[in-house]
Amino acid sequence: MRKFWLVARHEYRNMTRRRSFIWSTIGLPLLIAAVTAISALIATGAGEAIALGYVDHAGVIADSAGATAQVGDVLFRGFSDEVSARGSLEAGALQAYYVLPADYRQTGQVQMYYGRNTPTERTRQRFDAFLRANLVADQPTAVRGRVDDGVNLILRSADGRREVTENGWVNILLPFVAGMFFTFATMMAAGYLLQAITTEKENRTVEVMATSLSPLDLVGGKAVGLMAVALTQLLVWIAALVVGLVIAACFWPEVAAVRAPWGLLGVTALFFLPTYALVAGIMVAIGGMVTEAQQGQQISGITSMLFMIPLFLTVLIFSQPDSPLIVALTLFPTTSFLTILMRWGATVVPIWQLAVSWVLLVAAAGLSVWAAARIFRIGMLRYGQPLDLAAAWAALRR
Amino acid sequence: MSGPTVSLTGLCKTFGPVKAVTDVSFDVYPGEIFGLLGPNGAGKTTTIRVMLDIYRPDHGQIAVFGGRLDEGKKNRIGYLPEERGLYKDLKLEPTLVYLATLKGLDEATARKRLADWLQRFDLYDHRHKKVQDLSRGMQQKAQIIATLIHQPDLIVVDEPFLGLDPVNTRLVKTIIEEQRQAGRTIIMSTHQMYQVEALCNRIVLIDRGRSVLYGEVEQIKHDFAGNAVVVAGQGDFSQVPGALEARRENGTWHLALAPGVSSQDIFRALAARDDVKIERFEIAEPSLEDIFVSVVQGAGAGEAADA
Repeated sequence: MRKFWLVARHEYRNMTRRRSFIWSTIGLPLLIAAVTAISALIATGAGEAIALGYVDHAGVIADSAGATAQVGDVLFRGFSDEVSARGSLEAGALQAYYVLPADYRQTGQVQMYYGRNTPTERTRQRFDAFLRANLVADQPTAVRGRVDDGVNLILRSADGRREVTENGWVNILLPFVAGMFFTFATMMAAGYLLQAITTEKENRTVEVMATSLSPLDLVGGKAVGLMAVALTQLLVWIAALVVGLVIAACFWPEVAAVRAPWGLLGVTALFFLPTYALVAGIMVAIGGMVTEAQQGQQISGITSMLFMIPLFLTVLIFSQPDSPLIVALTLFPTTSFLTILMRWGATVVPIWQLAVSWVLLVAAAGLSVWAAARIFRIGMLRYGQPLDLAAAWAALRR
Repeated sequence: MSGPTVSLTGLCKTFGPVKAVTDVSFDVYPGEIFGLLGPNGAGKTTTIRVMLDIYRPDHGQIAVFGGRLDEGKKNRIGYLPEERGLYKDLKLEPTLVYLATLKGLDEATARKRLADWLQRFDLYDHRHKKVQDLSRGMQQKAQIIATLIHQPDLIVVDEPFLGLDPVNTRLVKTIIEEQRQAGRTIIMSTHQMYQVEALCNRIVLIDRGRSVLYGEVEQIKHDFAGNAVVVAGQGDFSQVPGALEARRENGTWHLALAPGVSSQDIFRALAARDDVKIERFEIAEPSLEDIFVSVVQGAGAGEAADA
């Protein structure tokens, strides 16, 4: 086992010290930081104080004409007539003004007039809150508070395994994002592995390695080392995402509603390793058969599609997560991991499907690793001469 | 003599319809340099790969250090394959340290020994360079270091002088001789017959996957004496019936004889010719190259005749 870990450490060090790895690892956090910062700036109106006017012909807002009121970062100024409000708008003192017609209480209709830019959704929500508060100003404090908070609908599945709140769309999106992350991490690690195997052949180092350690130590060490590389990258990305979510929660209540997805994490822990073993086995077999890295990448690109099929069916997974096709993808080893993660936000995946899927995946992973070891042993010394399918099949039957 | 380090008996290996090795047997003992010879495609590299458990044999017995080659024994083997290679995008020093640790050395010992080897091979100042930035000769020397750094008991070198200049060839020869004196077992595969004559105690000649000649170099040369003659004189001696090969060296002709042809037959053939004048005729002690040519071409001629 010592040599196994030596290979794993060597591959880890070698890969994580590459400039391309460092840039791709910090690139995503930088992107998240940039997107979060820009979004926050937009959400807060780029940090500028926002002034909105209103003309209340319905007598809903107390102390309307000439009064000012602050709601969050928005200042509301009352005007007695539309001419003066328009004057302030044209003078640039207002971003927009609202007009509540005399029949507002009957129709609920309100007009908004804006200058160069329409107020943001967030700013409009401030006016809604301001108006609601005035509508119920004569009610007891508890009632005012309830009206202000609105309804928070909680949907629960009959078996109690699943709970979705109205503001919890992020909790639906999160499994999808996690699925993408883990699938890309798996494919990335497998890609590294393929590259390492083919490079070993291209460099002609494989013969020396074969007389230094067993094929299992060589291939296994590489697989573990490169998986650690992918996990390191993933960890950095997840950490960046969590920090981004924490910051975003200060600006969006929907993000604040995100709850730690423990069930999802459990499924991920169960499915990630066998999925990686399955992909790694396929990549080692490809690496054993081809003679050049480029050849291997072409074949692995096609093979990777087998794992990516759920992405092409995203709409179906969200709209009909329990349809027969999606259940079939849940059970099929190459698609099970991603399909389950994508379904997780949209439905309750039955326990039996999880169990059958995991058993099939582990069996496929075992078969993949076994076949890969045989093909690698036969193909590793075929310099400049690829192993054809017939020879690979013969190696498996031996 | 102690037991053999390597013992191969009746080794067979096929790749689909191709019989790479059909019957190879030999023993190699501690403290000797053993020559593994044969023409291109004879099965030398396959024999080495089967011996080192890279390929599994179809038939035959292989014993390394007295038994089956297991993972523990791999640390006692140093192998310089014919297909050379190092990690091109890594620096020289960490690459060699990594390879040494895979042979059982701890990192500190590997670094200490490596410094000595790098200095001896004049590579010390290049240790921080990437392998791809080294010359081919430097890479070759680096791989020889990787083969020897863990002080293996069995050293297998396939064409060890390939790509080396005369100075480094001499250095490698000296090192191989040092390893032999240290009691290590060395198996050397090469086409350079004069290197075999200079270094090897015993040889096996493999041709078309079979061992066709096996034993001590001196004994083989003695057995083959009479299979070559040296002729001095005037005229063209390149085409003499019964001679497999004629080579001109220092004003004399060296004729390797076909199997079954005696020196008397050659003498009679030359005496009957009017276009040549013989000034000197003597039985030569054959070089290994003569023996190689004689055995390999003779076997080929024999097979052609049988056909």
